[in-house]
Amino acid sequence: MSEELEQVCVEMDPAAGDMIQHVAAEVLETMFFTEAEPVECDHVWLEIAPCAQIRFDGSHSGEMVLGVSAEAAEPIAASFLGLDPMELTDAQRGQVLQELANILCGAMVSHLWPESKLALASPELTGWQEWLSQGVLHRCFALPEGMLAISIRLLGAPTAGA
Amino acid sequence: MAYSVLIVDDSPVMRSFIRRVLGLSGFEVGETMEAGNGEEALAQLSAHRIDVILTDINMPGMNGEELLKRLEADGILKRIPALVISTDATKERVLRMLALGAEGYMSKPFTPESLREELERVLGDRNV
Repeated sequence: MSEELEQVCVEMDPAAGDMIQHVAAEVLETMFFTEAEPVECDHVWLEIAPCAQIRFDGSHSGEMVLGVSAEAAEPIAASFLGLDPMELTDAQRGQVLQELANILCGAMVSHLWPESKLALASPELTGWQEWLSQGVLHRCFALPEGMLAISIRLLGAPTAGA
Repeated sequence: MAYSVLIVDDSPVMRSFIRRVLGLSGFEVGETMEAGNGEEALAQLSAHRIDVILTDINMPGMNGEELLKRLEADGILKRIPALVISTDATKERVLRMLALGAEGYMSKPFTPESLREELERVLGDRNV
């Protein structure tokens, strides 16, 4: 992300952090059949974690990055697809991580700004983005098999009427 | 009665998930077919008897909005109920898809039970 975009990152309602926690837990329980407990952040594991990043544009523009520890990524994918972890291909692991990012981002922006008009881009597999600017909402979760982290930020003020 | 279902989504893992959830839901599923976008869906519809369509919105090629328009414009295909399944739950998007002819709208995340209830609702309406 360019410095120019870093500078226009805007503050979001801190209460939105609770919403992120709620939405993440609901998505993981409902569609990935696992539990997520919010925990203190310790980002050492994120240095080698599979991650997916997704942008949204429209009346609100911004992006979300999701990191899942390697030991949790496999059971999450297996659970989503109803497969034995040994049956999974690398492509399926990546696609499920992208789908998880897509579902989380869609659910979060729909909860944060239900009156908005948005389009989500396709998620991309990437490394972890440590966004240090103000206004970033971030939460870490413990799953039964590993860790999960989410950061979301708004880039620029919402357009008029949003 | 077992219903034949057409799943339209560009993500192979999402199609597999919906197939799996249909099985878990207790809904009476007969044949299940898949398509990666609107064009493939229309090809499946011309080749098979389909009772209900589950479609994503954002897909390469013909997207879900265009697919709904094509279904509405066809005197026979418009009788097949289409449910939209999407990550986008904003009011504007939901109302737009319903206005284009979708019989229902399911935002992710959803449970097997909620999918079954929605399928039974739209198919029940049709059977009446």
